[in-house]
Amino acid sequence: MDKIVLTIDNKKISCPPGTSILQAATQNDIKIPHLCYHPDLKPFGACRLCLVEDEQSGRLMASCVTPVAPDMTIQTDTPRIISHRRNIVRLMIAEHPESCIVCSKGNRCQLRWVAAQMGIGETNLYAMPNYKPLEQANPFIIRDLSKCILCGKCIRADHELVGVGAIDYNSRGFASRPATVHEQGLEQSNCTFCGTCVSMCPTGALSAKNSQYVGSPAEESFSICGFCGVGCSLAMGQSANKVIDVNPAHLTDSVNKATLCVRGHFAHDFLNSRRRIVAPMMAKKGEGETLQMTPVSWDEALDQVAERLRHIRDESGPQSIAFVGSSKCSNEENYLFQKIARVLIGTNNVDNGGYVSGQFLATILDQKTGGGSRPNPVSDLEKADVIVVLGADPNHSLPVVSYDLKRIAKNGVPLIVVDPRKTELVSFASLWLPVKPRTDLELINALAALLHEANAYDSEFIDRYAEGFSLFTYALSSLDVNKVCRMTGLEMKDLKATVALLEEKRIAFVIGHGILQQRYGTHTLGAILNLSLMAGSLGAEGGGIYILARENNQSGAMDMGTVPNLLPGRMPLAEDSARKTWEKNWGVKISPDPGLNLGRVIKAAESGQLRALYIMGENPLRSLPQPQRVKAALANLELFVVQDILDSEIVKLADVVLPGAAASEKSGSFTNLEGRIQGFSPVVSPPGKAKPDWEILDLLAKRLGAAEAYGTMEKIREEIRHLVPAYADMNGRGPGWVKTSSPMAVFGAAGAREKISFSPVVSTADEAADSDYPFTAILGSLRYHLGSGTRTSASDRIRDFNYGGEVDISIADADKLKLKDGDAVRIETRWGGIKRKIGRSNRIEPGQLFVPLAVNANDAMNLIDLNDLADPDTTGWKTCAVKITKV
Amino acid sequence: MNMKPPEIDWDRIHEIIEKHKGVKWGLIPLLQEVQEHTGYIPPESIELIAEAMNLYPSEVQGVITFYAGFALKPKGKYVLRVCRGTACHVKGGRSVLRLMQKELDLKEGETSSDYQFTLETVACLGACFLAPTMMINRDYFGKLSPTKVSSVLGEYQKK
Repeated sequence: MDKIVLTIDNKKISCPPGTSILQAATQNDIKIPHLCYHPDLKPFGACRLCLVEDEQSGRLMASCVTPVAPDMTIQTDTPRIISHRRNIVRLMIAEHPESCIVCSKGNRCQLRWVAAQMGIGETNLYAMPNYKPLEQANPFIIRDLSKCILCGKCIRADHELVGVGAIDYNSRGFASRPATVHEQGLEQSNCTFCGTCVSMCPTGALSAKNSQYVGSPAEESFSICGFCGVGCSLAMGQSANKVIDVNPAHLTDSVNKATLCVRGHFAHDFLNSRRRIVAPMMAKKGEGETLQMTPVSWDEALDQVAERLRHIRDESGPQSIAFVGSSKCSNEENYLFQKIARVLIGTNNVDNGGYVSGQFLATILDQKTGGGSRPNPVSDLEKADVIVVLGADPNHSLPVVSYDLKRIAKNGVPLIVVDPRKTELVSFASLWLPVKPRTDLELINALAALLHEANAYDSEFIDRYAEGFSLFTYALSSLDVNKVCRMTGLEMKDLKATVALLEEKRIAFVIGHGILQQRYGTHTLGAILNLSLMAGSLGAEGGGIYILARENNQSGAMDMGTVPNLLPGRMPLAEDSARKTWEKNWGVKISPDPGLNLGRVIKAAESGQLRALYIMGENPLRSLPQPQRVKAALANLELFVVQDILDSEIVKLADVVLPGAAASEKSGSFTNLEGRIQGFSPVVSPPGKAKPDWEILDLLAKRLGAAEAYGTMEKIREEIRHLVPAYADMNGRGPGWVKTSSPMAVFGAAGAREKISFSPVVSTADEAADSDYPFTAILGSLRYHLGSGTRTSASDRIRDFNYGGEVDISIADADKLKLKDGDAVRIETRWGGIKRKIGRSNRIEPGQLFVPLAVNANDAMNLIDLNDLADPDTTGWKTCAVKITKV
Repeated sequence: MNMKPPEIDWDRIHEIIEKHKGVKWGLIPLLQEVQEHTGYIPPESIELIAEAMNLYPSEVQGVITFYAGFALKPKGKYVLRVCRGTACHVKGGRSVLRLMQKELDLKEGETSSDYQFTLETVACLGACFLAPTMMINRDYFGKLSPTKVSSVLGEYQKK
């Protein structure tokens, strides 16, 4: 389209049609003041500050809502405009309370800034403050609507970006204010406390509740959020070496743009928790011969660790030592960590906490696609024809992804939600398939069969890029779809409706823990890949398979080889060529012994085979099933080293404790669920004597016989960039992407000719129902906590919110058991029990319960069996059979 | 005499919601029908309406509170609207309002405890030639004087 040429402030400007005058001016460095405009929101024209004058007609127009027209001549600061703008600001200030001196918006108040720019001090107007009660019953947001200027940014951010709809304008004229339904407090509304409105509010009407500090931070710097797998860009404010304020960084190339979630925005106060470990400690015999944790010097602690590790290795061999790394630590740290295990100790007993999240299952996709499905920008979801969300509740687990899904669905892309529970996403969905737990695999196979029957598959695509289709369809033809309906609890018309939506469409799949932590999840992923191939979606933009990683560096830890069976770059340890490559890289012999995964590590400790365990940034007492059993196993160890940031139950069991640093206190990089590698630098320094984890590992490596210390994080990064081809892009500046060289033709790399084979059609016999344990409990995440909740529980704000983790029960079941809201119940399995309060809910089907994780020291882990953890393919702890009794 | 507001006919409200469900721009006609039928829009119906119209409940409440024609509180059997426009003001509209407040013992916007009367003011009824004017439900009363106001009120109080 032709560009439009106009003149702004005597400067000739050309821009595409549809651009607003404000945008055109901003792009050309002409500054127009504004309060209600935000580049991520639709223009609104509420504040009228961006007035400009059309020279020809003399008209005054709000430049944010006026599109450019050919040959316009615009003036932005004539005396007339300035006089109008001054009056607008004077009127706003006349209605504004004079409380700047104690207002927590401080120097970030845009109203004050605009007034200052225009030289407005005294307004000389009759003050008409519009007093409203201060709302601060919740621990996150203080609402002081006396300071509201009705710019509507909070409402628009809520509706357009976050898609929760907690607030809207109420009333008219002077009485007009943003309000929740029934004008209740935010804590009683459906507000998710993402805080997006707080970051956008131009005045002190909305501010973050901060118990330790009020005002503007001394300095602000960028970081990456260390909670979930989205990897949001943060702007963290610090004062006196403490992080006191967090906002979205609002960079153009970030995942989150102007949004965040309650964890990212408000739970970072865990950094200043009194539970932080600030000095290395060792269990030493104190008075009365009891062991006591005693602060020691770094040299003493590290010498001790190195000496005892060497001693145990020399005595019992490297297999008597295991290492558990962290899906929360950086790529550089994980690389160094597994290198210590494999090179300096000589064991492949190295795993990370992502194992519990089922991240391991995702390797089936790597194997099938040659890694080609890895780089997967969330922004590409926009290009899908239809989105299928399976076993995922991103509203809670990865909120920022849910914002995208909701926005895209509102724009008209059909969204199909496959979930036993009626999640918040269902109200945005075209179709909800309430499958019975553990039957997703049957459903997907049935959909494939129906698509095949309707001839609604991309045969050209299949011919070109896939193989084994005829065998696959042969297996499909013997599938009894009616039986699948009975198993899944769905009706034939639901399946038909789904097929109608999927026919000849580019499908994007979003997959969560409902699949990843499910028994036979690998087969389900295989079936999803089959469906993606049939639809001709794989490899195209908008046809991705998104694995919702629960923790920030779950993918990165695996890329760096902090898993027993994969060397860095996800190269299989079992393959000779992979071992040879790394033997050459590192100049040592690598043991072909398969190594122990996290489940087996605990079992080996239990049986006494394991003598030493080194854990970095992981708390197995919270994250693994049967905590008492895990505790007993850990107590068996001769040497237990814990490198962590927070004091916890495992610290009490440790022989040596090494205080590490949180993401905002060190430099490094994380790889998010998309395969985006994001570097970060420290915002503050670690508390007390704590050190960045890479530095601790570097010092330890030197003591364990490494030829040379790295000395800087950049050197570790350099080595990764050099040796791991997938990470050649990692530069520590802007985001880089995981590079893949898939041999599969579908991903379009030069010379890639291989075809992807269809996975066999597998049916898994469901477990027989157990009449002693008649309910199926679904274990799942809440937005207030991440994973097992170690860090989020140390946040004062999250603790004050006092979320008790009520167990959802269907109204029919609650009536049958005579349970009222808030009744205490005991929930039991064969392995253990927990006590919780009950919440009657219409979001869950009869026969099922929803048990939120992470609360009460993650007591829900008592319900599941540790033995399930040993074999990654049959791990199935998403659901368990329970009984429920009133107490 | 203390009475409860009239019972809400939920079946009828459900019917109205069902009738307008998913219709584009259907929210205001739906709200009008509920208002007309029930005399107000029960706050408990906001979530139901929002779900049917695929809107956020906060948006529905925003629309209800924006328009003077919608109420979230039950109103009296008779809604009295006294005109406070310019012409009526000149002809003594303020005294009419004062008299009504005194006779009914209600302030502007209030409803009597027996849910018989709600006293409201409006900016103009568009019948300036009859000033000062008021409306009771759908009936107009013009050229009001203190005696006329008392007799009209007396009629309605008897009903």
